Amino acid sequence: MAETRTSQHSDEILLDMRGISKSYPGVQALEDADFSVRRGEIHGLVGKNGAGKSTLMGVLMGIREADSGTIAIEGETLRHASPQTMLDAGISYVPQHINLLNTLTVAENILVGNLPKNRFGLVDWKAVNEDSQARLSRLGLKLDVRQLVEGLSVAERTMLAIAKALFNNARLIILDEPTAALTRVDIDLLFSFVRAQQQQGVAFIYISHHLEEVFEICDRVTVMRDGRIVGTRAIDEIDVPGLVHMMVGGGVKEYERDSTAGREVVFEASNLSRRGAYEDVNFALRQGEVVGISGLQGSGVDELAQGLFGLERLGVGEVYVGGDAYRPDSPKAAFEAGVAYLPQDRHRYGLIQLRSVRENVTYSVLDRLVGRLGVLLRKDEHELTEEYIDKLGIVTPGPEQRTLLLSGGNQQKVVFAKLAATQPTVLILHEPTQGVDVQAKVDIFNIINDLSTQGVATMIISSEVRELIGLCDRIFVMCGGRITREFSRAADDMKPEDILLAIEGGPLDADA
Amino acid sequence: MQMPNRHDLLEFLSRHFIWVVLVFTVVVFGLTINGYLGIANIANILITGSVLGVMVIGQSLCLMARKLDLSAEGTVSLVAVVAAWLMLPYRETDLAQAGGLGVELDPLIVIPLILALGAVIGFANGFMIMKLNMNFFIVTLAMQLVLRGLALAISEGAIMPGTPAAFNWLGGGRVAGIPVSVLATVGLYLVFGFVMSRMQFGRKVYAVGANEDAARASGFSPARTVILVYTASGFLAALAGWMLLGRLETSVPNLGIGLTLNVVAAAVIGGVSLKGGEGSIIGAFAGVLFLAMVNNALNLMNVDPLWVNAVRGLIILVALIIDAQKSRYRGPGGSSTPTRTVAGDNGRSGSRDARHPERLQTPAAE
Repeated sequence: MAETRTSQHSDEILLDMRGISKSYPGVQALEDADFSVRRGEIHGLVGKNGAGKSTLMGVLMGIREADSGTIAIEGETLRHASPQTMLDAGISYVPQHINLLNTLTVAENILVGNLPKNRFGLVDWKAVNEDSQARLSRLGLKLDVRQLVEGLSVAERTMLAIAKALFNNARLIILDEPTAALTRVDIDLLFSFVRAQQQQGVAFIYISHHLEEVFEICDRVTVMRDGRIVGTRAIDEIDVPGLVHMMVGGGVKEYERDSTAGREVVFEASNLSRRGAYEDVNFALRQGEVVGISGLQGSGVDELAQGLFGLERLGVGEVYVGGDAYRPDSPKAAFEAGVAYLPQDRHRYGLIQLRSVRENVTYSVLDRLVGRLGVLLRKDEHELTEEYIDKLGIVTPGPEQRTLLLSGGNQQKVVFAKLAATQPTVLILHEPTQGVDVQAKVDIFNIINDLSTQGVATMIISSEVRELIGLCDRIFVMCGGRITREFSRAADDMKPEDILLAIEGGPLDADA
Repeated sequence: MQMPNRHDLLEFLSRHFIWVVLVFTVVVFGLTINGYLGIANIANILITGSVLGVMVIGQSLCLMARKLDLSAEGTVSLVAVVAAWLMLPYRETDLAQAGGLGVELDPLIVIPLILALGAVIGFANGFMIMKLNMNFFIVTLAMQLVLRGLALAISEGAIMPGTPAAFNWLGGGRVAGIPVSVLATVGLYLVFGFVMSRMQFGRKVYAVGANEDAARASGFSPARTVILVYTASGFLAALAGWMLLGRLETSVPNLGIGLTLNVVAAAVIGGVSLKGGEGSIIGAFAGVLFLAMVNNALNLMNVDPLWVNAVRGLIILVALIIDAQKSRYRGPGGSSTPTRTVAGDNGRSGSRDARHPERLQTPAAE
């Protein structure tokens, strides 16, 4: 182990962020975060979704303004953090989905904006190719510079993006989930490239949900939770369970409800498969049961949820709702069959922000609110809206308020109201607590509890494992398109560490 | 807690701004232009405004659904030519005039025919846009070209004078001294105002225009809604064509040319956003009144005709500037977090749970 880490990095601090805080309405996204990176180290940054990693990196890149705190690079405190000053300071970001000019060649991508010209003022293509090839070989990157970027593999694109950053004198490169779409061979390729650059004194911040890889490549790792830095550890001072423990925190449950599961199966899927998304998915939900599904991005869980609501193709296999075959080709069909879905992207799929609370609550049930000739029954509409504002505790100046002006939690409650109004048999919730404050979270848990008490079968897709443990009768883990594990309250095996490990891809060799 | 106050004020102003402007315009023109508020001139304003007004209804529906109908003025051309062609007696075409087809159909047959033609054109637009996934701008622009070209081909580029009196009733007739075209336009505004604010269809149009994805996820069919919107727009354009031809009593091949910009301008001036999902029919009506009044004033003031277009263009630009500021102020379309509306509170003070309800229940909001 030790010889792979004989990098030349000194203990000299390259980046020092101190006391960074950032709040959004209703959410403290970052609270007094200290974060530092040494010269030439690979520093892992882990934490669940919403832990504050992206906000912290946003502040570092100068695209989000912190409410307070300082950023120093090589001991020099930056007075003003804009994207340009951060780039000038040598900080570069390589996103998960690489942004390159896909229809141009590798050489053009490298020299874009600065193509060498001949004496007629035309581009000197020979020089372009030679220059870019020379630059790449200095980094030890073997790519044909005449190739179009769209023909490169994801790993090659990532390395090219890193190379581009280095040509712009980057000293610290943020890698955001670089391996999410990579095969093992490509991961090795990428890692050896990253290590080679590290030898030259370049530092990396490595953001990943794949803990195995963090242990493979990082020198140190920092854990974030709920907008705070939980701690920073040298990689040989900690193991996977220890890291997971830091990620999920001490308190196991945030909320606890009693099971309301009945006997009758109301929602059942068998052998559900969609190429490239999920495979052979089987589950059955009983009346009043709350079931959680958790999985990383790319595990197929997102596609499954959207497919079950008719927003995407569902693939092959059978689904039954209340015993009837169910195959939605649109959300309208899903609502009619008694399936309602709370989308993860509230702003895109959930709310119509320009319109009022009243209109948003009643969209799903307009058919029930019309009299003759399609004229809306105003009185019924108002009663229904007031009923749900009251029932779900939606804080709004009135039913005519544009939903745009509500807080995240109240917006989410409006979407809940829209779904509950359809009186569904099955409720599919996709990250229901994302971007809502603590109080609204508890309200939302109560809403879920109320609905399941009324017999609604609920499926919660969430990465908030602790919330799932408090809410669910059973928890499925999806990995690589399949349901790989099932935990249940009855079997008393819903341990956050175990669930998180299963989400990351099962027990690690190190623990076996 | 200053921001919510300011916000509500701005919101109120942005919603009813046009009415303030309208009153101001009436006062200024009334005081400065002789005879501006005379019965004859008011009738004149309303009659010229009525064709514009009918077209604005259709265009407003399209804009509310976050679309645009550039083909409407082409529909005006085509239905006018087709109507004249079907009603007028056959006559050898000379340099200036053309005759009809020779079938000399009764106006009572021709009128439903051209209205249906307009609806079919609109349906075709909507179908191509929603079912064949074509870009609405290009589809309706190309359609305008097609329609205008057909009108020219049928009329052989010549005028067709002398449409029958029964046909001209809508555009030129009067009931109890009031022009029929004005009555009809007001009637249409009442009907569509009701449809958009009180009926299921209106609700769907706003929803689709504000956020098509969310509308679909709420159980609507955006395709069906938008196709209906375009069908209505085509129908109303045909009606405007009938009205215009009835007023002129002569089919001119390039009838309606250049109307589109005025129509869109009137809608936007009336508060219908180009970004969809907002605005009201009654606001659009105010926009029509404003534009008709300004056009009329430009005539009466003997503004150099060479300058008229520059002034009109400027007014349209100002309306667009206001529209753009409105949406900038509300944050980027669709995906904005409420940060902007509650700006000024960077507070690290106070517990985070308590802050929200407080902010939302500021007394200023009621």
